[in-house]
Amino acid sequence: MDKNILPVTNENGYFEIRLESIGGLGANLCGKMLGELGALSLSLNSLSFSSYGSEKRGSPVKAYIRWCAQEKPLRINSPVTHPHILALFHEGLIGTYPVLDGVSSETKIILNTPFTADAAAEKYGISIGELYCLDALSIAMECRSRVNMVMLGAIAKASGFIPPETVEQLCRDTVGKKYPALIEANLNGVREGYARAQKASAEQNLAPLPTGKHEKFVWGYKNAPIGGVNPRAGSTVSNDLSPSREGYIPLFIQDRCINCGLCDSACPDMVFQFGPGIYKGKECMVNKGLDYYHCKGCLRCVEVCPTDALEKALEKDYPEKPWFVPDKDLLPDSISYQEVGANSWITSDSYMDEKRVDGGVV
Amino acid sequence: MEKQKMMYDSGNELAAYAAKQINYHVMGYYPITPSTQIAENLDVMRAEGLHDIQLIAAEGEHSAAGICYGATAGGGRVFNATSANGLLYALEQFPVQSGTRMPMVMNVACRTVSGPLCIKGDHSDIMYMLNTGWIILFADEPQMVYDMNLLGLKLAEAVSLPVVVAFDGFFTSHQKRKCMVFEDDEVVKKYIGPKLSSDNPNTSAFAKELSTGKNCFYSVLDLEHPVTIGSYMNEPDVINNKYQLHLAMEEARKKLPALFSEYETLSGRTLDFVSGYRHEDADILLFVLGSSYHTAMEAVDILRGGNIRAGVITVYVLRPFPAEELRKLCASAKVIVALDRQDSYGAGGGNMSLELKAALVSCPVKVLTRIYGLGGKDFYVEDAVALFREGLMESAAAFDYYGVTPGEGTEEEKQPQYFKPLTEAETKPGITTCIFDEEQGKMTVKGGLLKDATAMPKRIAPGHGACPGCGIPVNLNLLLKGIEGNVIMLFQTGCGMVVTTGYPKTAFKIPYLHNLFQNGAATLSGVVEVFHQKQKRGEYPEGEITFIMVSGDGGLDIGMGSALGTALRNHRLIIFEYDNGGYMNTGYQLSYSTPMGAKSSTSHVGKTQYGKTFFHKDSPELMAATHIPYVATVAESNPADFIRKAAKAAAYAKDFGTAYVKALSACPLNWNDKPNLERSVISGAVDCCYFPLYEIERGITSLTYDPEEKKKKIPVTEWFSMMGRTKHLTKDVYRPITEEIQAEIDRRFARLKARASHPLL
Repeated sequence: MDKNILPVTNENGYFEIRLESIGGLGANLCGKMLGELGALSLSLNSLSFSSYGSEKRGSPVKAYIRWCAQEKPLRINSPVTHPHILALFHEGLIGTYPVLDGVSSETKIILNTPFTADAAAEKYGISIGELYCLDALSIAMECRSRVNMVMLGAIAKASGFIPPETVEQLCRDTVGKKYPALIEANLNGVREGYARAQKASAEQNLAPLPTGKHEKFVWGYKNAPIGGVNPRAGSTVSNDLSPSREGYIPLFIQDRCINCGLCDSACPDMVFQFGPGIYKGKECMVNKGLDYYHCKGCLRCVEVCPTDALEKALEKDYPEKPWFVPDKDLLPDSISYQEVGANSWITSDSYMDEKRVDGGVV
Repeated sequence: MEKQKMMYDSGNELAAYAAKQINYHVMGYYPITPSTQIAENLDVMRAEGLHDIQLIAAEGEHSAAGICYGATAGGGRVFNATSANGLLYALEQFPVQSGTRMPMVMNVACRTVSGPLCIKGDHSDIMYMLNTGWIILFADEPQMVYDMNLLGLKLAEAVSLPVVVAFDGFFTSHQKRKCMVFEDDEVVKKYIGPKLSSDNPNTSAFAKELSTGKNCFYSVLDLEHPVTIGSYMNEPDVINNKYQLHLAMEEARKKLPALFSEYETLSGRTLDFVSGYRHEDADILLFVLGSSYHTAMEAVDILRGGNIRAGVITVYVLRPFPAEELRKLCASAKVIVALDRQDSYGAGGGNMSLELKAALVSCPVKVLTRIYGLGGKDFYVEDAVALFREGLMESAAAFDYYGVTPGEGTEEEKQPQYFKPLTEAETKPGITTCIFDEEQGKMTVKGGLLKDATAMPKRIAPGHGACPGCGIPVNLNLLLKGIEGNVIMLFQTGCGMVVTTGYPKTAFKIPYLHNLFQNGAATLSGVVEVFHQKQKRGEYPEGEITFIMVSGDGGLDIGMGSALGTALRNHRLIIFEYDNGGYMNTGYQLSYSTPMGAKSSTSHVGKTQYGKTFFHKDSPELMAATHIPYVATVAESNPADFIRKAAKAAAYAKDFGTAYVKALSACPLNWNDKPNLERSVISGAVDCCYFPLYEIERGITSLTYDPEEKKKKIPVTEWFSMMGRTKHLTKDVYRPITEEIQAEIDRRFARLKARASHPLL
């Protein structure tokens, strides 16, 4: 391999990649593989790491890769702020989190979306850089591979300099060694990702990119209560869970409901809004509806419902959810939540087939 | 130079790899972010038979340090890894280790000391080590973590002192980089050499060493030369013992250059006390510890491009502190900006800048201190440039914080409260009523029907960050449905706490307190007693409050002592344990409640290992042995029973003393099963008698659900087959293990039934 295949570097001499994802889609492993790819296959000096936090599924995660010429010391260990490649594993992150920060005309953006590249560019107002789109989710399910493998293939394609065969070889060496049974499916995922990443034809202009939501009021040393004390009781209620929703919702068929309360006893997310009412002529607590803002789609309630009054449904099929009742105890009339549907993959069977090791997911 | 191979690994992985090559006798440890991966990686390698290190997961860092101390006292080679409050929890053990001159190596992946609880990296933990008598090496990149782990052991044994290899948590512990390791483990073994422990028949030279008073390794296992380790010693002797320790530290200082050059010959890599970059002719220097050193180099190049003579220096050995070497590096500097990633509050600097200032006291140089990067705040090249520019200003303050923010927004923009505080009346819908039956000596409970229980307002708000399908909020809601009236909660560290209180949000609508998980029960004891004292003195309104301490099973490993102490003092509170069978918040390390045979990130399945090797803890029995008035187990699969037991626990906690309630709590992420099916998995655990439902009320046991009687009993393997973490056990090859587990479960259940058959049992 040629000594330095990097087509472009920043002012400090680095080529930088950022992956934006949610926990469970495998961006961590993808980042690690890209890091290894640089170090072991592309004869580069390489560094990779992920955003650090607690090990929850559904929360936003980032992975960073920094490359430079082999002989150059890698001296920066801070996160990538101005990526040459930006891969968005989950389109629901756009607009909610500042995932597009630092994008320039040099950035190649790879977006996992069912939309075509041109449609996605318009929908999300992505007007800078080169946009590549693919439906990594469907491809992954089709190949029985994973979103991260498909995205890896697409990243190689968009980069313009990562030879697909090096990615495949790395796949064989890492995933293949640990899980020989899964290698063909995953190789297929990589190949399809490479083949099907489609570039937007839209012209570049320099319109501002959508930024993440910005809280008007931010605690700092002048205005925060001392000792880290938090006086905003129950304030997680304003958290926007839409990007971490799992794509399924429990659909409420009210006339089947016997108000037994089993759903409320099984729900981890305080979704069910029971209140005083009349059922079969008697005064009792009745199910008034569901607070879908806070539903993560685990479907525990569907399993325990004895009368099928709750059914599994795809969130995208119900832009208007019947029996949608925001949290009844909430004081403000409304809190502006991002109204984005999630994708329906994480709870699907392909997810459960995955092998989990080291407390993480491969 | 010895043959080496390239790896692409993180600091934690390389620390583990070095340990594997050394093949320590024992590693005593307790998982704590960000050092946990060291034990995890060693466990992966152990499962494949790649080393023989006995990995001992202690019930807390204090015990881990004790295990290490005992193993070194037995003449072993010993290894540990920890961080932050884990380091502090073990702190009192470290002077014991050094004062009795027992060499070992401990890795510290540096992390912010709580509270508020923070998992990210700074240097507030490692600076507590400065006065412990340990040698402290500080690596600034993964490669150096590996190198220092090898050299560190050699140094430790050369001067009979324990050694810390410290490095930045996350920045160095987790970032992967290219690095070189010795290809052949034998090279490492030869480099370190055998440990000349007095009990080893192959090292009979010991007797001679003993008489000369040279560095020799006493061993409590040595029957031929019986020694007393750990004398009771006051004046006039202790000062002499400490002087010996001081001399050993100075000996380390003298021996290090030769050790550095020996290692360089072997590896081709240079190690040193200190390092500098473009410092020779620099007018202004940054002084920085750890991974930021490299970032600062980029800034130096940028400033040099603008004709500013900038440079940066760092230190790799904190103890013995290389004052002389640092002075040399600072020779040309007019200004030094010393960056501290921790503060010695009120001292005018963090420890490193204080020590630098002391080293330079006779030099004509201005030293400024900036506290930066606390709580893992990233350090960008731009920050380093800004700090240089600040240092160049005549008016720069001698001490300041860098990177703090005052906050934004006006009072009007401040978000309103989301919920009205719950009133006592609102939280008394009358779902349950408890009356103490004096004749029977028992609490009778009425109500608790699920359909009525929906009337209980939620004390915890939605929007928390628990994984989809998580059992913790489910169990908390069920518990709270059974508790009428005012509630105040304390959570020990764990998933339940982390997902509910991520600043600046909180899920709690009721008063809430957190403490670290070796101390939650004691802390709540304090809250309860001040409540009663204040009521007694008329400083608090009349009325009742139910106090609940919530902990995971992990918290009740490390916090068992505190929980038992609280129970023995019989404070009027509830201890509620959600047992998801592992340390889930940190990536599923084994807990003592993890089922035997289950895989976890510290009990891997491999050629030579089948998962966790010992039985699950019977914590209700431990708590019952304190003879508190109420002990109960609950499961979401029996929700009405759950609610009624919660009501009883509250009634007992109000009038009698401590109540302990334990729920088995599903963790779809780490049990590796489907979120929607968790209730049936819990039901499986109950039906296979792994988690029997019973209560012990004022000493009298009653079984509240008998799967045998209901003809619902299933074999434990059927429950194991429902979870990815235990599925492997259903294979034929593990039959001896599952038979052993089944026998133990049956034995425990038969014993429980026998006890339930008679009030005296």
